[in-house]
Amino acid sequence: MAAVRICGASLFCLILVSTQSVLRGDSFRRKLSVELNPGWPSPLPPVGDLLHVRAVGDNDTLHFLFCSLGAPTLLLVHTNSSSSTLEVDWTQFLTRKVSGSLRVEPESSILQSNAIVFSRLLEYDDVNNTANPTSDFFPPYDLRDFTWARLNLSGASALLCGAAATFANGSLCLKLTVFDSEGRDQILPRLLHSANSSQVEVWLDGVLPQATRSRFLLELQAVGGAYPLSRVEVQRSIDDEFTPSIFKVLQWLPPLNRTYGGSGFLQWKPVSYRQFSPVVEDGTPAQHSPPRPQSCAEESSGLIRAFYAEPETFGLNVSFGLAGEPFYNSTRFFSWTVLLGVGLPPMDSFSPAVLIMMAVGLGTPMILLLLGGVCVCIRKRASASSYEPIN
Amino acid sequence: MADYEERQSLLGDEDKGRQAAEAAGGPGRPLPAICDPGHLLHRIVVLVFMCFLGFGSYFCYDNPAALQTQVIQDLDLNTAKFMQLYAWYSWPNVVLCFFGGFLLDRVFGIRLGTIIFSLFVCVGQVIFATGALVNRFWLMEVGRFVFGIGGESLAVAQNTYAVNWFKGKELNLVFGLQLSMARIGSTVNMNIMGWVYSKVAALVGTPGHTALGASLMIAGVTCLFSLTCALVLGFLDKRAEKILNKEQGKTGEVIKLTDVKDFPFTLWLIFFICVGYYVAIFPFIGLGQVFFIEKFNFSPAEARAVNSIVYIISAPASPVLGFMVDRTGKNVIWVMVAVITTLAAHMMLAFTFWNPWIAMSLLGVSYSLLACALWPMVAFVVPEHQLGTAYGFMQSIQNLGLALIAMAAGAILDTRGYLFLEVFFCVCICVALIAVVMLYFVDYLKGGDLNMSAADRAKLLKESTSDAEIKRRSSRVSEGELARLAHMSAFGLRNRYLSRLGAQVCTHHLCFDSIQTEIPLFPNSVFKTSHWQCICF
Repeated sequence: MAAVRICGASLFCLILVSTQSVLRGDSFRRKLSVELNPGWPSPLPPVGDLLHVRAVGDNDTLHFLFCSLGAPTLLLVHTNSSSSTLEVDWTQFLTRKVSGSLRVEPESSILQSNAIVFSRLLEYDDVNNTANPTSDFFPPYDLRDFTWARLNLSGASALLCGAAATFANGSLCLKLTVFDSEGRDQILPRLLHSANSSQVEVWLDGVLPQATRSRFLLELQAVGGAYPLSRVEVQRSIDDEFTPSIFKVLQWLPPLNRTYGGSGFLQWKPVSYRQFSPVVEDGTPAQHSPPRPQSCAEESSGLIRAFYAEPETFGLNVSFGLAGEPFYNSTRFFSWTVLLGVGLPPMDSFSPAVLIMMAVGLGTPMILLLLGGVCVCIRKRASASSYEPIN
Repeated sequence: MADYEERQSLLGDEDKGRQAAEAAGGPGRPLPAICDPGHLLHRIVVLVFMCFLGFGSYFCYDNPAALQTQVIQDLDLNTAKFMQLYAWYSWPNVVLCFFGGFLLDRVFGIRLGTIIFSLFVCVGQVIFATGALVNRFWLMEVGRFVFGIGGESLAVAQNTYAVNWFKGKELNLVFGLQLSMARIGSTVNMNIMGWVYSKVAALVGTPGHTALGASLMIAGVTCLFSLTCALVLGFLDKRAEKILNKEQGKTGEVIKLTDVKDFPFTLWLIFFICVGYYVAIFPFIGLGQVFFIEKFNFSPAEARAVNSIVYIISAPASPVLGFMVDRTGKNVIWVMVAVITTLAAHMMLAFTFWNPWIAMSLLGVSYSLLACALWPMVAFVVPEHQLGTAYGFMQSIQNLGLALIAMAAGAILDTRGYLFLEVFFCVCICVALIAVVMLYFVDYLKGGDLNMSAADRAKLLKESTSDAEIKRRSSRVSEGELARLAHMSAFGLRNRYLSRLGAQVCTHHLCFDSIQTEIPLFPNSVFKTSHWQCICF
């Protein structure tokens, strides 16, 4: 069962991490190679696309697989060899009925794998403006029934847009970006990423809501091989420099006794934005429900069916908007960003500006105190020694 | 001896009052106590009106902070624009500080001046609310500007009324009560406006700029109430003047801008402390509510309560701390303690998740302590005839700093978040700390006048005043002394600014000599002055 743990970031740790990161500079890079529909002769497959990005490190490889066959899925496979490859049996893969039609060779080199499936979009009518999504649900939109456009590639990022049959206009889009080094995104929420992670932005744009007061939820399913993600941890941080007024980071992690340095994680900040190029005021809090075991991921996603024999799945809902916040109808847009990666989740640290300001601000009075004390001592010594006895 | 003379003059007033009252009521029929301007009961009634005079202005000053989320959401603002509402309040006071006393003394007179400034406060709040009703932000800024013109000068008028109606030890109590009313106004505003808005929004149907405008109009009722008090006070004061044959009260303040070149280095350091400190308090309270909601997961009601704790604490803490500072002296040390405590409080809020009630309580105590210790120092550093200019200048650059930093704080919050904002406030306090440290050493090296203990200061005063008395008794009134006599005493001036900034006045003072002089100024007019020379210790 999922457990939520609140963990505070210690100030000392934060200072240590920030000084280290400032001094260390750029550390670890991967070599990225992108291929779309590997092994399928052109033209494109009849339905669905498969994007494969290989991120090769010194002695390991991360395989990122993004597939729009059924519900959009991002699969991450971590192997301990820098020459592992992907094998796809397309005929069986396209039937979506055979497990093992997608393999990473050699199979013995697989350390672990995790996947995230964007399975359903739920809408409810928030009549009383309480943001309590327990009832008044409209029929859910199943993302496996969406009509997905072709994957639009640019560099190491891919854009996938699709619409349900009932959408008059508007679409749901997912943008995947795979990173080769440490860095920070430019647009809010400016998530920090490492070379071991990738980022998916989800946004719903222009869709006509079924009620003027409706709000949305996005259902996610996390699939794990050896280490399924079963609990969400809330990390409180004092640093909100990059996402102003958000002091929490949420991480979806394997159970405590099965965590190790190289296990997978999902990380996000509990905020969603109501505009495409957001500023701080466009932020709306996002909440999540506790992860619960589920059983049908392999039915909705072709990639899960193809890769996993018996996947362990946990699902949760991310809801957008709190009581009192504007409804979806105000801008007809919401966006949310999530990181999927392996290893230690990236942690924000103080920027150099903050460290310098505090050092100068606190140091100058101390120096002045010292100098002043020295001056006073000298003065006292001088006046004492200038005493001349009368005799 | 001082007590005897005090009693003498108070009795003298009362005797005169009784005679005048008898004359007014007709032969053999004295006025009832409550209608008799000389009687204590009547003066208590006047005190009540005097206290509520400033209530509306203090209540409405922090309306934006109490309704921060609603203002930002309903009018679709960012934080930088929101803080403009505070900046526009401070801008007119950069210049008006110098002219407030002049306007009240020479141009309008205290009665008409009070009514005019109350009108400005009222009209300003109404324009502010109208701007929200019609969803025009520029109109709201205009409203705050007009409100600012009236707000600060009204405090000057309130103090002048107090000095005019009450003398000696009563004055402490009066200033204390006025201060408490001011703080009560701020606190009530912080805790009530959210509730008012939710009720209005339910009435109107949806939250939005209409509900916001209506709530602000309701807040404007307090300004109307203060205007009524101003009218009543004007009437009572005019009546008392007729019955008692008093002069209309004067602030007695003369500003000479050329005095600025004579200001000593220690005074400039005091200015730095003042600016560096207050810019880290008021803009922080303005932005505090959302900070507590987001970082510490407080509910909006709780966040408003903890935001108002600074004001709640300063009401009882100020007299206690004022008494302590007056008893012990050593003002520079107290200022240093206050600044360091505030720095600690801000760092707690920035870098830890400790319960913010602790940090905000510390902030309240140190804010009161600084006001009690800092403002009297000006009177120790500057000769009496320049005190008006010095205080006016201090208020002016304080308002300038507040206006600029309010805008900067909003902009910083929008781009870099709360941690950076708190670090920025810490840096401002560090500037004040640097100034305090320098002040301590400069003062120490110059002989330590500012940091004297209370006993030493009293001794010094006794020696200097006994010299002055001998000199005065043996010579006629000279030109220089004319200039000194025409101004308010150090006691009065200190009290005026202390109470305005949230401190309690000294409760012990040595008063000597009542000087009554008639000085012919122009043909056919006479300048009458009668006042105490009082020193705080």
